[in-house]
Amino acid sequence: MKFRSNLWIGGALIAVVVAGGALAPWLAHTDPVMDANLMNAEMPPGSEFWFGTDAQGRDIYSRVLYGARVSLTVGIVSQLINTFIGVCLGMSAAYWGGWWDDLVSGLTNLMLAIPSLIFALAIMAILTPGLTSLLIALGLTNWSFTCRLSRAATLSIKEQGYVEAARSLGYTDTRIMFRQVLPNIAGPIIVIGTLGIGGAVLAEASLSFLGLGIRPPFPSWGSMLSDARDQITTAPWISIFPGLAIFMTVLGLNLLGDGLRDVLDPHSQTRKA
Amino acid sequence: MLKTLALTTALALTTALTAQAQTQTPRSGGTIRFTAPYGSAFASLDIHTANRAQDEIWAKAIHRSLYNWDSFANKPVPELAKEVIASKDGMTYTFKLRDDAYFHNGRKMTADDIIWSFTRIMDGSKGYPGARYVRLIKGAVEVEKGQAKEISGLKKIDDFTLEMTLTEKTDPGFSFYLSTTAIYPAKEAQQPDYFSKPIGLGPYKFTEHVPGSRMVVDKWEKFYKPGKPYADKVVISLMGEASARDVAFRNKEIDVSILGPTQYVAYQADPNLSKGLLEVAEVYTRVMGMNPTFKPFADKRVRQAINYAIDADLIIKRLVRDKAYRASGWLPLSSPSFDKDKKPYPYDPEKAKKLLVEAGYPDGFEFEWTATSNESWGIPIVEAIIPMLAKVGVKVKIKPVEGTVLSEVVRKGEYQAYIWSNTSGPDPLASMKCFHSATPQSACNYTLYKNPEVDKLIDEAGATDDAAKRVELLKQANNIVQDDAPMWFFNYNKAVMAYQPWLKGLQPNATELAIQYYEDIWVDASSPAAK
Amino acid sequence: MLPYIARRLLQMVPILLAVAALIFLLFSVIPGTFASSMGDDGRTVVDAQVMERMNQELGLNDPLPIRFGKYVAQLATFDLGTSFRSRQPVSQVIADRLWPSFQLAMAAMLFAMVIGVPLGFAAAIKPGSLFDSVAIMLAVSGLSLPKFWLGLLLMYLFALKLGWFPSFGYGDGSLRYLVLPAVALGVSPLALLARTSRAAVLEVLHADFIRTARAKGAGNIRVMRWHVARNAFVIILTTLGLQFGSILGQAVVVEKLFSWPGLGSLLVDSVTLRDIPVVQGCILTIVLLFLVINIIVDVLCAAIDPRIKYS
Repeated sequence: MKFRSNLWIGGALIAVVVAGGALAPWLAHTDPVMDANLMNAEMPPGSEFWFGTDAQGRDIYSRVLYGARVSLTVGIVSQLINTFIGVCLGMSAAYWGGWWDDLVSGLTNLMLAIPSLIFALAIMAILTPGLTSLLIALGLTNWSFTCRLSRAATLSIKEQGYVEAARSLGYTDTRIMFRQVLPNIAGPIIVIGTLGIGGAVLAEASLSFLGLGIRPPFPSWGSMLSDARDQITTAPWISIFPGLAIFMTVLGLNLLGDGLRDVLDPHSQTRKA
Repeated sequence: MLKTLALTTALALTTALTAQAQTQTPRSGGTIRFTAPYGSAFASLDIHTANRAQDEIWAKAIHRSLYNWDSFANKPVPELAKEVIASKDGMTYTFKLRDDAYFHNGRKMTADDIIWSFTRIMDGSKGYPGARYVRLIKGAVEVEKGQAKEISGLKKIDDFTLEMTLTEKTDPGFSFYLSTTAIYPAKEAQQPDYFSKPIGLGPYKFTEHVPGSRMVVDKWEKFYKPGKPYADKVVISLMGEASARDVAFRNKEIDVSILGPTQYVAYQADPNLSKGLLEVAEVYTRVMGMNPTFKPFADKRVRQAINYAIDADLIIKRLVRDKAYRASGWLPLSSPSFDKDKKPYPYDPEKAKKLLVEAGYPDGFEFEWTATSNESWGIPIVEAIIPMLAKVGVKVKIKPVEGTVLSEVVRKGEYQAYIWSNTSGPDPLASMKCFHSATPQSACNYTLYKNPEVDKLIDEAGATDDAAKRVELLKQANNIVQDDAPMWFFNYNKAVMAYQPWLKGLQPNATELAIQYYEDIWVDASSPAAK
Repeated sequence: MLPYIARRLLQMVPILLAVAALIFLLFSVIPGTFASSMGDDGRTVVDAQVMERMNQELGLNDPLPIRFGKYVAQLATFDLGTSFRSRQPVSQVIADRLWPSFQLAMAAMLFAMVIGVPLGFAAAIKPGSLFDSVAIMLAVSGLSLPKFWLGLLLMYLFALKLGWFPSFGYGDGSLRYLVLPAVALGVSPLALLARTSRAAVLEVLHADFIRTARAKGAGNIRVMRWHVARNAFVIILTTLGLQFGSILGQAVVVEKLFSWPGLGSLLVDSVTLRDIPVVQGCILTIVLLFLVINIIVDVLCAAIDPRIKYS
């Protein structure tokens, strides 16, 4: 088996980010919110503040670490919601067919037609900015690909004998879907999910730029980057570190997703995805 | 100390600008490349419907109102009238109108145009923001309610003489200098295509509007001020993103830019850019309003404790980068009733703690603070305050909202605390009325302030004929409000405009620096757009 | 073919109706009104009476079902209503922004295609090679940058430091103004296209008919040129069609940053200032554009690849 560079590089990047977020309370030098000290405002990177400080005098290194928690939470939770919705709708539509299938297809087409960032923008404006709103906005707007994929995969599996066999054993529909069908379509869904986490991290940044992201004092990379944009010439470190963190994470997720695709889904049909 | 320094700076700047205008002969021709820095696209080409600063920026090129704001004298001055005569009781004003003011189709303005414009604004089926000002004229409310067709307090004596009767004794200049009360040509404005190609009395005539991008206006040859305007053309570009505006300005693509705190520091440090900075103490006061219906804030001692607990000077110095003047009350530096001897609340966390104990909050309390993301009066400021208040045991939960929502919840009183930037001038009487108990929360008494003593002082100030006495009464009222601390008084904005070396004749407009009278601005030969 | 197009066009109707209903309902519960947006800069105190009248004039005081009824009745006559802010018909407001928006989206797609497709093809020639890894890594890097940050970096580098392009705005509509925003917007579709075309070429290269062609003695270059290109283009076109949606979405950010007068910046302004009819009109237009582009893509695919048949 050949060395899968994207899988390894991607995995390593993500491992660093996850470790950083998980170990933030131990690795961070200061509390990311309460340690605003205006006497230290906008210090360049140095031995005391590794990544420098921001306009409020908070340690950027610590905020980037804690930011990993928020940004990863946003990415992973919203993507779990998307995957859950997509898989449930897709599988059940293919499995039961009929009017339910028509309804789900209609919904999928609808979701596909509204650009997800615009949909998320609308939801954020309505729910007012914040973490929960963001999870809802990003979690409800990006499930159409997963749904289509699950539906197509379930349809093809349904034709094969073993679902029929399970049914004759008297298993319930739900049990068959989750025990028999799901494991068989998990590969491509994991791939889409991985790529989607990256998309959600970027979407969070975009929404922050538009004034509709998570609001501080919770440090999220998107809001840190967006708040620092006016200082990009005067104090570039304030934006460079959260920017790099986003870049690393999304790059890692994309590489990991590609790598996983090669492993889990070797006969990927680009046409369908 | 800081205040006197600020005042001197403001004065010095004013003199410097006047001197500059006098020593150089203005050059005619060229293009002024202006910017509209406040986010959104222009709302509408019907300026009567749009009251945001962003729209006033183009309106001053095309339209004129009865009065202008004189930035150097810091007061409204008659613009469309050559002479204004007030009656003895101060309730009736006679305007001798200009007979040389032409609309951009070449027609001469008469008293009928003014009467028509004001009557239009009072249309009770429409929501024209200018109604708030025109209501000052007797009989306007009747038109608004549909009880009359004409405003009884506006009388045309002849084509160029207009008599205006007011409902209260006040200088009408403060009500009629904004473009929400601009004068439209009566007949032409009723044509269907008027609002796609508006004409007015301003120094420039409408040429092109690319929605969301820019507006282009060309010199109006028959403008009533001799020799003006100087430039052939003004291009006003919409540039809401401060970072993008910074690049465009450094790249010499635009002639002016409004600066935020971070860029202010950077421009000051740059040997070339620092030469082109115009600083003005604007009539905006940044405050944290505290809702008295939220139990802890009902106690004056708690509100004072908040004022003591926040190190405003430090925030202004380190975070706002001295792009603001420390507030010692509601009325701003440039206000005639500003009391320069009144001290702001000092930073004294010990005293704050003591006050909290006295008020029955030895362990502090928690409150929700509604704020937008604005860098000068929003969440970034609150973030710096959180640890300061935590030191005296007060916990803060930020409730982030958009500007539109802030403006709604504050007006409805649906907040525990808010932080906002509000206009506190130019008319000190109108500004102080925001603390009169008769003013509803939905108007501008956002903190439901109520103090009979202040009510009495404001009423007296409104009734007196003696200008000096009025100033003094309002000064007293302002000081009492500061002691009562319905708000944490944060700062008065220092607006900073960066301009290219070839741009001359900018005015230090304290009501809003981004609003300039273009007829006074000219570009010298070194501008890339000098031709 | 014509019946197929007609059917596809008809299928758009329920989607558009559903979108219209969805956004109407969403925006009927949004906090803040247009009237309250007028005081958001704290510059003037907006009179409570005037605000109330404004709500009345704009029909915001009617109960929700009546407003919805009016809205549907309007849509039925292809009327999008009147903008709260500009008091112009929404169709006019949108028409003013359509061309710049279209220009930007097309330029971004063109940029993505011109660079992304050859990159993907080149990478596919020797899969697993250093060139392959670097090319794909570069493409994915572009995808991984937040758009506004990338836009700012482009502005600093190409406008301020190098002075090659103007930093902002629409200017006189000339190409120079289009370059930077188009590049900022085109980077993500570029990465996806590079990846897709690489995969498509690899897939096609292993397909039976290529082996047949090779067996018949067709040279490598000929194989690349004809068979691969034709088949890969179908996949690429489809990807591009689907990417068009995300381009329209991302345009919101890029247009705002570059002060580009397109639908995206109009949408953001209108959401912020609660100009609901324009918000609805904008989203409907964006959805319509997306659907139409995808029909065109499907038709083009059929024209390129005779094996694709629509009934």
